Amino acid sequence: MGLLTILKKMKQKEKEVRLLMLGLDNAGKTTILKKFNGEDIDTISPTLGFNIKTLEHRSFKLNIWDVGGQKSLRSYWRNYFESTDGLIWVVDSLDRLRLQDCKQELQSLLQEERLAGATLLVFANKQDIPGALTSEAIKEAMELENIQTHHWLIIGCSAVTGQNLLEGIDWIIDDIASRIFTMD
Amino acid sequence: MYKNINTPGILAASKTTMDSGTKLSAPATSTALDVEGKWNIVSERLQKREDERLSEIQKKKEQKSETAALQESTNFFNTEFNKEKVAIEAGLSECDRVDKANLIDRFDLLSLSLQKMQKFLAESTMFLPPYEVRLAQEAISKLQTQIQEKRDDLFPKKRFAFKSKKKVASSEKQIAKTLPENVCREKVEVALTNCKYEDLKDQSLEKFEDEINNRDVALARLENCTVKLYGAPSAVHMNKLNNCRVFTGPVSSSIFITECQDCVFVLPCQQLRIHTTKNSQFYIHVTSRAIIEDCSGVKFGPFNWKYPGLNDHYKISGLSRSKNSWNDIDDFNWLASDTHSPNWSLIPEGEFVKSWDEQIC
Repeated sequence: MGLLTILKKMKQKEKEVRLLMLGLDNAGKTTILKKFNGEDIDTISPTLGFNIKTLEHRSFKLNIWDVGGQKSLRSYWRNYFESTDGLIWVVDSLDRLRLQDCKQELQSLLQEERLAGATLLVFANKQDIPGALTSEAIKEAMELENIQTHHWLIIGCSAVTGQNLLEGIDWIIDDIASRIFTMD
Repeated sequence: MYKNINTPGILAASKTTMDSGTKLSAPATSTALDVEGKWNIVSERLQKREDERLSEIQKKKEQKSETAALQESTNFFNTEFNKEKVAIEAGLSECDRVDKANLIDRFDLLSLSLQKMQKFLAESTMFLPPYEVRLAQEAISKLQTQIQEKRDDLFPKKRFAFKSKKKVASSEKQIAKTLPENVCREKVEVALTNCKYEDLKDQSLEKFEDEINNRDVALARLENCTVKLYGAPSAVHMNKLNNCRVFTGPVSSSIFITECQDCVFVLPCQQLRIHTTKNSQFYIHVTSRAIIEDCSGVKFGPFNWKYPGLNDHYKISGLSRSKNSWNDIDDFNWLASDTHSPNWSLIPEGEFVKSWDEQIC
């Protein structure tokens, strides 16, 4: 048994899951992260760089990486792909003008070899605001049905009210767990 | 220890001690010695049994770890994996010869064994080198598509369709193919929110609280317009404004501005993002930090628009009036902290516009 095997076994015992949260700027990635972690969301500035949070949830240790979505930061996204178990793609459900951009960015991510095994959760954020596009409409506009390469789910949510955040995270953990932690 | 006393072996031993004692009728001291000796024998026997038991356990443990080590080797995985793979491939090639009635069961069986393979792989990932894992994953996905193809081949899906309509659809597709970009663009922009102004020129536009409170508002492709939003929207998106003046009440979350030029924006909000905008002025109240990206010639001053009802709208939006970082802007294209970004500047205090009403009229 090599050292690597021992390390892998330890990781398995701890049930660590690495989630990468991406999306265009103004989607609400940091707000989702902070709300999920029970922090104040009124003082969040646009992310200049990235945030990492490690939290315990359902006996899993979640490492959530939230990387800024500004255009000038997107070229750095690939630095965070390595050993990602799940990709959380956040969409601003009000931003109808940039849905096209949003779709293209996601599609190029899905072609990434290093994200090939990752589960994809799409959060259609800002559902608390009247007039937001429904998750169904976003699914159609982004042609999510065509995704064959990844397990995926789209779910409408609101980072402000916290609606559906838990449901989404639970789904992605379950999906990852069924792939990685089949030993238990 | 008490438990051991009840075992038959010890009972038998104590019985013999008693027998010998009565037979010899030896003095009390020798009987005591005798008893002690017997006890020694018994405890020795006990010790021996205990040792045997322990060595048995040890042996079993070793055996188990040996088999585990055997099962946790790449070779073992490869042989087992290939066995399964060959079995599935054989099963697939037989499908052509199997009765239609049994085919469904046959396919179920095949997918079941494929699932087993997948589980086996998942269990083995911890000791396999990444290369082997990838090969195995590729093999599995290949098998999966093979099974799917075979299934599609043997059970063609019945699609419900009107034949005459199909033709129309295909001709539509051709049009779409020739103009893919236009079609996509139209699709996205037509879907703008209800609460909006778009494609207007030389106009003065106003919206009031009943329409915009807690909603999102969109302004797109306006030229030489003045827009006033008297209320507390949740979010505002602005795109391609040219030579416009935009006034808003307090926006509870974020404002997003792209591709504008020669404009004046007067607005309070929680977050402000400004992209690809040129030569514009911003009189703002931002409770977090405003950011610019790909901008040039943008100037900032403090929010100073007043209208009746502004206080109420502040309350609805929940914005803190005490915190305003209008003069602290992050430029995503200028990360040096020691020199100021050339892309933005502050409006000198003496040049602040004092009364907007005069300016607009």
